[in-house]
Amino acid sequence: MNEGRRPVDARLVLKRATGMGAIAGLAGVYLSLVGIVERFETRNVVTGVVTLGLLTVAIAILVAAFVAPRPPRAWGMAEPSRGLKLAASVLAGAAAASVLVLFLIAVESLDLRDIFPNASSSLSRILSLGMDGPAGWAALAALCLAMGSIAGGLHALRPRDRQPLVAAMSAVLLVSLMEPFLNNVFLQLRQNALASFIYERSGLTIPAALIVFVVVLAVAAFETYRGKQARERVESLPAPTRRNAKYVTLFFVGVLLLVLPHLMGVFLSEVVGTVGLYMLMGLGLNIVVGYAGLLDLGYVAFFAVGAYATALLTSPASSLGLGLDFWIALPIVMVIAAITGIIIGAPVLRLRGDYLAIVTLGFGEIVRILLLSDALRPIFGGAQGILAIPPPEIGDLRLAGPVNLYYPILAFVVLGAFVAWTLANSRVGRAWNAMREDEEVAAATGINTTNYKLLAFAIGAVFGCVAGAFLSVKIGVVFPQRLDILVSITVLSLIILGGMGSIRGVILGAFVLVGLPELLREFAEYRLLIYGGVLVTMMLLRPEGLLPNRSRQRELHEEHDAEETQYQQRAGGDTGAPVISSP
Amino acid sequence: MRFLSRPERLTRLGVILWALRIALIVFVLAGSYATLSGASGLVLSPEGWRDLVITGIAQGSVYALIALGYTLVYGILFMINFAHGEIFTAGAFTGFFVAVALAEEGIMEANPVLGIVILLLSSMITSMIVAVLLERIAYRPLRRAPRLVPLITAIGASLVLQYSFRGIYGSGVRMVPLPDAIQGRVEILGIPILRSQLIVVIAAVGLMFALYYLVEKTRTGRSMRAVSEDKEVAGLMGINVDRTIATTFAIGGSLAGAAGVLYVFIFNQVSFAMGFLPGIKAFTAAVLGGIGNIVGAMLGGLTLGILESIGPFLLLSGFGVPSTNQLRDVIAFSMLVIVLIFRPYGILGRKES
Repeated sequence: MNEGRRPVDARLVLKRATGMGAIAGLAGVYLSLVGIVERFETRNVVTGVVTLGLLTVAIAILVAAFVAPRPPRAWGMAEPSRGLKLAASVLAGAAAASVLVLFLIAVESLDLRDIFPNASSSLSRILSLGMDGPAGWAALAALCLAMGSIAGGLHALRPRDRQPLVAAMSAVLLVSLMEPFLNNVFLQLRQNALASFIYERSGLTIPAALIVFVVVLAVAAFETYRGKQARERVESLPAPTRRNAKYVTLFFVGVLLLVLPHLMGVFLSEVVGTVGLYMLMGLGLNIVVGYAGLLDLGYVAFFAVGAYATALLTSPASSLGLGLDFWIALPIVMVIAAITGIIIGAPVLRLRGDYLAIVTLGFGEIVRILLLSDALRPIFGGAQGILAIPPPEIGDLRLAGPVNLYYPILAFVVLGAFVAWTLANSRVGRAWNAMREDEEVAAATGINTTNYKLLAFAIGAVFGCVAGAFLSVKIGVVFPQRLDILVSITVLSLIILGGMGSIRGVILGAFVLVGLPELLREFAEYRLLIYGGVLVTMMLLRPEGLLPNRSRQRELHEEHDAEETQYQQRAGGDTGAPVISSP
Repeated sequence: MRFLSRPERLTRLGVILWALRIALIVFVLAGSYATLSGASGLVLSPEGWRDLVITGIAQGSVYALIALGYTLVYGILFMINFAHGEIFTAGAFTGFFVAVALAEEGIMEANPVLGIVILLLSSMITSMIVAVLLERIAYRPLRRAPRLVPLITAIGASLVLQYSFRGIYGSGVRMVPLPDAIQGRVEILGIPILRSQLIVVIAAVGLMFALYYLVEKTRTGRSMRAVSEDKEVAGLMGINVDRTIATTFAIGGSLAGAAGVLYVFIFNQVSFAMGFLPGIKAFTAAVLGGIGNIVGAMLGGLTLGILESIGPFLLLSGFGVPSTNQLRDVIAFSMLVIVLIFRPYGILGRKES
């Protein structure tokens, strides 16, 4: 396995580990100054044992100390021995410790609060684990070194032993973060005893944490040791049995989706409704970005058009004063949407990818400023927007309130996913695919790229407008302040997280990026920071997303593979020095 | 007379675009005529117009400084550095803290020129560091990736920086203490000009000349131009491509830092989100002048600044539109859209084949 590689250079490995440890320490300083440590401190992970604030710093150090001992592939170096890896991890922890302790001393002794409002005494209390003076410094250093040692210890394990352990630890964190959701469901089901057994003051209780840890450890261990046989046995089942199993699963998922709002209560239904709106927008933008490959940064424009068009048509208080029924207005809104999509799309189609992104961003902002302006106040109501939008009605049933509105939103999400899936696997979808991979070749094979791009824009616009229509009836008013570029960015982030062109990805992305911040107030404050981080990290590490679409994955990895071969060719020489050097 | 001898085949899209062009021209002419003829009853004195133009020039020179960063990076990497506006914010915040410190020490009152130079230098260095780090961490690993990938990364980096500023420095707007030396008016050729605007224009013009010299006359500039022509060949000729690209980011970043301080001189305040609009407008300016073109970026910045300053009143008030100043940003964004649609290669840029 180590053939053709250079022998291990311990000095280089340790040097790199020190550097990475120091970077992790700086990351800790950043997390402190940006306020995340202090803000997240209020959330318990395991009540009385671990809080989320300090955990963010600890995880940063743990990850750095775990990655540090592995020489990058470009060095062409053999795998270091276990002892060296352990030493490198501990060294990384020590480097992080020195950076963080220096920072702690600075926060304690200097008054930095004029410049950094978060460098307060409560921050230093968190970092020093509640102890004073040198004892606190020692405690922080010990924490960092412990993280380094744990990372080194993880290296000593075989991968198949390590994976269940990591899975179990992540599961404890995840179940703990699900507290606002699960706790609410338990209370809704009148399982107060269960709720107070599992959760205490926003975190898991110690016994509950242990149970989750052990159960997930067992399941993950079974998966790593026996997973392959189990999957083979499932695959060896006759096709009809498997199909039936699939239908049964689908049936149960369907039933669960239908009773969900009653399980969740009003607050959670409201959150899930918002997630649903973003799913609709995600599905729509996914057609434009993921299928057709056109980066639209002004998607909020369609959302706004949908919301305002619905408000104008249905609200008796609007300037039109028509007071139409929602279900009559909706098709009109969809037609308006498609036309808007074409109007915005037509002039920008000739532009290259990055210019197109900026122009659409410009359109989005223009729409918002116009809606907000005094000049158009007689029509759109200026900053106050349009009030008194009636809820949709089916027969005598008024679909008011989050629990009732959940159903039409769910129906449209399912319909939207179905439409998107059908399109992706149709002639149109294949044309988009071809166009995205190489526009000129696609045009040469007889695909009318202009028409297909316009089609993508129009369909994307319809999705966005339907989401906007539901937004307006959901909150009963529309006003321009919330319809800014950040909506476009949110939708883009959730697509990128899930995977461009992937419908499952949109659903996952909406739950994680929209649902989680709605539930965890601590995250809400930093959600755009997190979105930005998601965009950068995904592009750097996994551009195809978490649940990738297959052809898209192939596309992005072709590039990567080409790069990798090139890099290996370069590093092929014994020196490993770059071919390009300074004059 | 090529266009006479062989007319282009008209497509549906072409017809739409021509219709749009004509509608735009009619709109601009009608709006200007209505305003200038005073049909709406709103009239601006000649001095009023002159002041608007001067304000436009001062703001335009700030846009030009930022636009240079976009143009330099685009010229070399063919990528829009979306986070450039945040590099500008970093400079403005540094300027704010240094200005507070200098005011406390009394340096700003005792020796305003020294104070301004210290402000500019510290902001330029901070922004330069941010820009170089950004390139190293976020952009360098993606140099061979498909085109949308670095653009999305840049959007992400912009968000990360913007909301880091918010987290680190707080979400409020901070007022900058400006010394008397920067306030008040001076008369030049009988025209009263705000001192702050004068300082902004002088500093901006000086920096632009310095940049022009750097790019055209020095060895660094020559390697930058070589890398922008062809990275591979430049590498074979013994130019360190990575370092040249980092240098480009450093130069663009330091200009944005200076722009941050100058912007503070005009508007007197800093906040975490202040980089977004100037960033977009400076990008418009860069495209307007022909992206990749240094002189173009300067001209584009000035043009945009002036149009943005007089545009809303000139074009809209004639139609009786109330509070035209709210629509300033619409003018800037419309310019962006119009330029990109009709003349993506800019005023000075050449049409790509």
